[in-house]
Amino acid sequence: MPKIDINEAKKLAKLSRLEFNEAELANFVKEFDKTLEYMDTIQKVNTSNIDLHEKTINAKTQLRKDEVKNSFAQKDIIANAPQSEDGAFAVPITVEEGE
Amino acid sequence: MYKTVIGLEVHSELNTETKCFCSCKNHFGGEPNTHCCPVCTGMPGALPMLNQKAVEYAIKMGLAVGCKINKYSVFERKNYFYPDLPKAYQISQLEYPLCVGGGVEIEVEGKKKYIRLNRIHLEEDAGKLIHSNSGTLIDYNRGGVPLIEMVSEPDMSSPEEAVAFLQKLRSILLYLGISEAKMQEGNLRCDVNVSLHKEGEPLGTRSEMKNLNSFRAVTRAIKYEVLRQAEELNAGRKIVQETRRWDDNAGKSYSMRTKEDSQDYRYFPDPDILPIEVEQEYIDKIASTLPKLAGERAKQYVEKMGLTEKDAELLTQDRKIADYFETVVKSFNQPKFICNWILGEVFKKLNSLENDDAEIEINPENMAKLLKLYHSETIGQGTARQLLDELWGTDKNPEIIVKERGLAQVNDTAGLETILKKIMADNPKAVEELKAGNQKMMAFFVGQSMKATNGKANPKLVNEIVQKLIKL
Amino acid sequence: MNYLKMDLWQVREALKTGKITSVELTKLCFKRIKETSNLNTLISTCEEFALASAKAVDEARASGQKLGALAGIPIVIKDNINLTGTKTTCASKFLANFVSPYTATCAQKLVDAGAVIIGKANMDEFAMGSSNENSAFGVVRNPVNTDYVPGGSSGGSASSVASGQCFGALGTDTGGSIREPASFCGIVGLKPTYGRVSRYGVVAFASSLDQVGNLTRSVRDSAIMLGVIAGKDEHDMTSSSNAIPDYEKAITGSVKGLKIGIAKQFFNDKLNSEVRSSLDKAIQTYVDNGATKVEVDLPSLDTALAVYYILSSAEAASNLARFDGVKYGVQSKKFKDLVDLYFKSRTEGFGKEVKRRIMLGNYVLSSGYYDAFYRKAKRVQKVIRQEFEKAFEKCDIIVCPTTANPAFKIGEKSNDHLAMYLTDIFTVPINIAGLPALSMPCGKNSEGLPIGMQLIAPHWKETTLFNAGDFLEKALKEGK
Repeated sequence: MPKIDINEAKKLAKLSRLEFNEAELANFVKEFDKTLEYMDTIQKVNTSNIDLHEKTINAKTQLRKDEVKNSFAQKDIIANAPQSEDGAFAVPITVEEGE
Repeated sequence: MYKTVIGLEVHSELNTETKCFCSCKNHFGGEPNTHCCPVCTGMPGALPMLNQKAVEYAIKMGLAVGCKINKYSVFERKNYFYPDLPKAYQISQLEYPLCVGGGVEIEVEGKKKYIRLNRIHLEEDAGKLIHSNSGTLIDYNRGGVPLIEMVSEPDMSSPEEAVAFLQKLRSILLYLGISEAKMQEGNLRCDVNVSLHKEGEPLGTRSEMKNLNSFRAVTRAIKYEVLRQAEELNAGRKIVQETRRWDDNAGKSYSMRTKEDSQDYRYFPDPDILPIEVEQEYIDKIASTLPKLAGERAKQYVEKMGLTEKDAELLTQDRKIADYFETVVKSFNQPKFICNWILGEVFKKLNSLENDDAEIEINPENMAKLLKLYHSETIGQGTARQLLDELWGTDKNPEIIVKERGLAQVNDTAGLETILKKIMADNPKAVEELKAGNQKMMAFFVGQSMKATNGKANPKLVNEIVQKLIKL
Repeated sequence: MNYLKMDLWQVREALKTGKITSVELTKLCFKRIKETSNLNTLISTCEEFALASAKAVDEARASGQKLGALAGIPIVIKDNINLTGTKTTCASKFLANFVSPYTATCAQKLVDAGAVIIGKANMDEFAMGSSNENSAFGVVRNPVNTDYVPGGSSGGSASSVASGQCFGALGTDTGGSIREPASFCGIVGLKPTYGRVSRYGVVAFASSLDQVGNLTRSVRDSAIMLGVIAGKDEHDMTSSSNAIPDYEKAITGSVKGLKIGIAKQFFNDKLNSEVRSSLDKAIQTYVDNGATKVEVDLPSLDTALAVYYILSSAEAASNLARFDGVKYGVQSKKFKDLVDLYFKSRTEGFGKEVKRRIMLGNYVLSSGYYDAFYRKAKRVQKVIRQEFEKAFEKCDIIVCPTTANPAFKIGEKSNDHLAMYLTDIFTVPINIAGLPALSMPCGKNSEGLPIGMQLIAPHWKETTLFNAGDFLEKALKEGK
């Protein structure tokens, strides 16, 4: 039965880009254990005959034609930006190209 | 002492009209965020619509390099946070890419080698980050542009092989017409994996290098990395599996992150994009549209134009050069002459520009005119070379230049004879030497006649006339 | 004449025959909204836009122009559906000021059919919840009894329709989010077949399970609305080009020969006795009118909830990652570097339940757990789907309760998240299998709280749902 400890919870929080204080994290771990136990019940179903990569929806692959359609205006794209400069989104930190 | 093992991951932007998952224009440049929509900027509620042409181009490349095309293919989400990634996931492929296997043949210093490919898959590009005074600006115009990622097996063992492989892929991309494939403009990118191991021992830990923007950078980076790893191993240290960033100005690479810190991308099939199922008929149809690749064209040059195999191969390596060559031949049917000129003077000029993406910047009609003048001996080699430089990057008509500046060679036999008679009379010793068999003296007479005619004497004619005169 | 108590199809008649104008009707709705503001059904209203639309319809009607199926009828849409110019908050602090730069296809279809959109409905944050207690804009109340929850996540939509503020509402259903609130509020809720309605412009929760549907006061209304929003959309690769039948015409008035599947897994001992007797009575009504009962078996039904939480959380974790504070939404003011910007903005912007699901989702997707959880859940999903398909070889519809119990009191389950999840136990399997289902009121309990019956049909057979549902609705009214 999978269990989760504080360190794993911290890793998950990092992956999720969420901050929790110590108390919240401890509570989370407690609740999570209950949830995990519940979720683990799927293991009892026999799925040995299941091929995941069989057609599920009976729709033929429909792809889009390579034809240009009007893009949105720059002002609409950045309208909700918390910060923008000269039409570009802005973050007040220096970031290197490529992850 | 160590064997070098190199693998390459090459990304190429496809030159479709629209982006991979939306109908925004696939356009280089423009004001920021002017080729965008809710889909490529990751707005809440937006959904991807896969571009048919992007799939076709990916399959085309796969067929051209002998891949097996997967009839069932899945797009997956690669999840990570970065400002240039608007959805915080990149739509890519993992378990079921469009193409698997395949490979290309390269030649380094006369030795042929087959480099295997592992796969080719389709994915979308990220936006562009621009440094500003206050921080970083983000432009999503490039976000969503279709890319094919071509992953090689670790079959290369030297920087030369790596560059040859990269050039071969580039050549094919250009032949297929599916990419501009310009490294300096960023539509052809390359990450390199390098590891060292001793003969007989298992493969070593590899490190990955990013930010290589030219063939030269690829060469330098690999050489540096081989030295760096050898130094580490010799000192008894272990190689850390990591990603390093190449700084071409400094000639060094820097560690970006280690695998402990590494990202868990949590790949899973993108539920917004159904699995792509293609029929054999569709694949066959694409196969029938494959243009003649380099090898076939070269064959044609040998058979129909009488070029040598070696020359034909050199001419056809770059599709743009081959296309150019054929256009010039259409205006001036002297394929051997044109071939020699291109492989000689034009290649020399291109190499001098130190730009991997350099193209011939004289339109084929003007080039044909230049070559007609040279071929008919209206101008000599020196003038032809000079004009090549002068015409480069302009629209100027060489015929007009030659006429206006009176650059035409002196081909007037009678006139030249008079001049030479005088030179020979003034230089009896030289004449004696020549008569005695010292052919080197011919250069002297050619030189003197050039002086007397302001460089316009036709050296071939001078040669003939001198030969005739000394027999008298 | 209390227009606000009419069904959509009835008020459509009234508009057609000039008994009332759309502007008058719209004004009545806004008056009602103000009178019932304690229900907190709407996050924003668009009075100006609505009155302008209403006026345009009245003018078009007067000049004899051809009108759409919903012409002049006030409708509400859930606040996770984009409509240009309106705020689309998903009931989250994160998007409290987000103004839609584009319109969702389903909303555009309503507009094209002449509907008068009067407001954006409150909901559980990012559609995660079963009680509408997870909204950053306050709890929504059940109009039948305001101490009780309306259900969720489309609680605002349900409460708005049930209280007479509008004649129909769009909601979204990922694990029961239309059917459960419809059941709790005593109205009709439809979740169409997955792929029947475009999801373009609807803020994604779980992409492979989400479906836009409607909440109405009658089954016939539901058929009318589905006819407007259904259809293939090139913007949504998962939408289907399956033919769209005339849903209204599917209502024949007879259920002779209808085979009703009864699965024991839905009628276990956990079932509330009043709910059971209500269902039994409804099923008997069908049988008395020419339908037959068939026993069917859905052995893996009890794993559907676990499958649902694994798959929906995983997809949600990925879908909600785009909320990073860079392009829109909350951007924290107190960060020290880029990574911190993400942490602070998201932590400030998201509520507790959303955070919980994101963590769960990333857990099941992370390397080491992906095969055991996500992959396995996908396999079990197929098993569940196959079991339903097998059951439908023997019957035309499957009937069961929408929820095991009627509505609960506000605050009753908010501290036990697992208990909250269990309210979806009968609705979730339908999303897992991608089937269409309709919830309709079939009685009340001793406290006067509505009891909901769920009709489930094979893929693309919403017609069967409408026919059977309409029949029972009439029968219950006439006391047959």
